[in-house]
Amino acid sequence: MSNLISYKDISISLSGRLILSIDQLAIPFRQCTLLTGRNGSGKTTLLKIMSGLLKPDSAHIAYQGLNLSWRQAKPYIQKDIIYLHQQPYLFDSTVFNNIAYGLYRNGENKTSVHKKVNQALEWANLSHLAHQPANSLSGGEKQRVALTRARILSQSLLLLDEPTASMDSESKQQTSLLLQRLNAEGLTIIISSHESHTVSHLIDRHLHLENGRMTEINNASQNNKVTPFKTTKNTLTNE
Amino acid sequence: MNDLNQATINAFQLLLSGNSGIWEIISLSFSVSLSAILIASPFALIIAFFLAFFQFPGRRILISVFNTFMSVPAVIIGLALYLLLSRSGPFGDLQLLFTSKAMIIGQILLSFPLLVAMAHASFQAADRRAWETAITLGAKPYRAFFTLAHEVRFGLIAAVVAGFGRVIAEIGCSMMVGGNILHATRNIPTAIALETSKGEFSHGIALGIVLLVLALGLNAGVSMVQGKGGLHS
Ligand SMILES: Nc1ncnc2c1ncn2[C@@H]1O[C@H](COP(=O)(O)OP(=O)(O)OP(=O)(O)O)[C@@H](O)[C@H]1O
Ligand SMILES: [Mg+2]
Repeated sequence: MSNLISYKDISISLSGRLILSIDQLAIPFRQCTLLTGRNGSGKTTLLKIMSGLLKPDSAHIAYQGLNLSWRQAKPYIQKDIIYLHQQPYLFDSTVFNNIAYGLYRNGENKTSVHKKVNQALEWANLSHLAHQPANSLSGGEKQRVALTRARILSQSLLLLDEPTASMDSESKQQTSLLLQRLNAEGLTIIISSHESHTVSHLIDRHLHLENGRMTEINNASQNNKVTPFKTTKNTLTNE
Repeated sequence: MNDLNQATINAFQLLLSGNSGIWEIISLSFSVSLSAILIASPFALIIAFFLAFFQFPGRRILISVFNTFMSVPAVIIGLALYLLLSRSGPFGDLQLLFTSKAMIIGQILLSFPLLVAMAHASFQAADRRAWETAITLGAKPYRAFFTLAHEVRFGLIAAVVAGFGRVIAEIGCSMMVGGNILHATRNIPTAIALETSKGEFSHGIALGIVLLVLALGLNAGVSMVQGKGGLHS
């Protein structure tokens, strides 16, 4: 199987304590990976390193046929990989402007931005909120705006830090539906989560962080929270 | 008391009649101070941002240097600049002493630590996620800087206004390096000092009124802007 990106020898210490030491982490195309681990196990740290936002002590990256150090890869991974915070940050502006942000950074013109943003708002069922100040939204709505803002850039890898933490069950469901559609559209997704069950139907692979090390929890081990096969995924791909 | 009333009435007449001497002084004051703030602010904001967002050796020392310089009296900065610009000083050849350019330089030095310290506090309070979000959505670092500055714009505006408020009213430095020369370097504070010492109270009061109105206006503006910022945060 070919990989979208693969990381080697990731290590980082913070305040003199070794937080992560991972030999190999390959991310296959189009897969949806669940990343679990206790509070403080380093999930956020890992996702930020992977997306170029946090400098590790060391890491090597194979990306687009190139073997790069983390520093060399940084401009590419910052641009091509989208990291979503556990509590997403929306800029102090309208929902519309938040979703348009990345398109403008890509140098798109106003007409095309408007068209795409309006389509995206419809896609996410957020059109009614387009001109609301983003800071007035609820947590679940913010999360959906952040997801839409990420999706509109058509990048290939999305890293989600506990996307459904502190959401009520309806928001969870809506978010997980959006994630499902994103994955169906061909996006590669990594989700860190305590509660694997809300996204379990999406998961192709389950990684677990403990004591700075990563282990793959495979289907054979019968982790009963993670269903081995995607039960509902295909029913939704064709909508 | 009657004298004072009469002087105040005269002061308003001077201002309203468009007395060219008074308005020349006012406009010199504004052009010097606005130039100083316009030149100083971009650099100060960028330095403040680096101090708040990046770890580098000497960072803490720099922060305390700026905090210390914030409380250096204007007259000391004027003295230092005078020595540098005087004919026998290292920059004497530039012949800047007693020009409005020297006043601008003095006011840049005077406002810079205040601008950095206040902008630093704003950036420090900014949410780190704002920076990370901008970067991960494809913003180049310089662009992410503007995004972040926009997020904390109310604090930055307050910093710039405070800087302007400090230099428009300062007298020590303008007097030392400007020399209070009519038609050239006489600004509001130095003119007030001179007119009052000559017993021309109405001139002094008229210029004082301008500074007071300005101070009130700036304060009202800043609290309005900050009130607006508080709505969503
Ligand atoms: N800037 C920092 N300086 C020192 N230690 C840090 C820093 N950032 C994180 N850590 C430590 O690194 C460890 C991993 O943190 P991280 O936030 O990655 O964990 P996490 O798995 O995301 O936890 P949670 O489930 O609570 O979000 C924690 O023990 C944390 O205290
Ligand atoms: Mg975390």
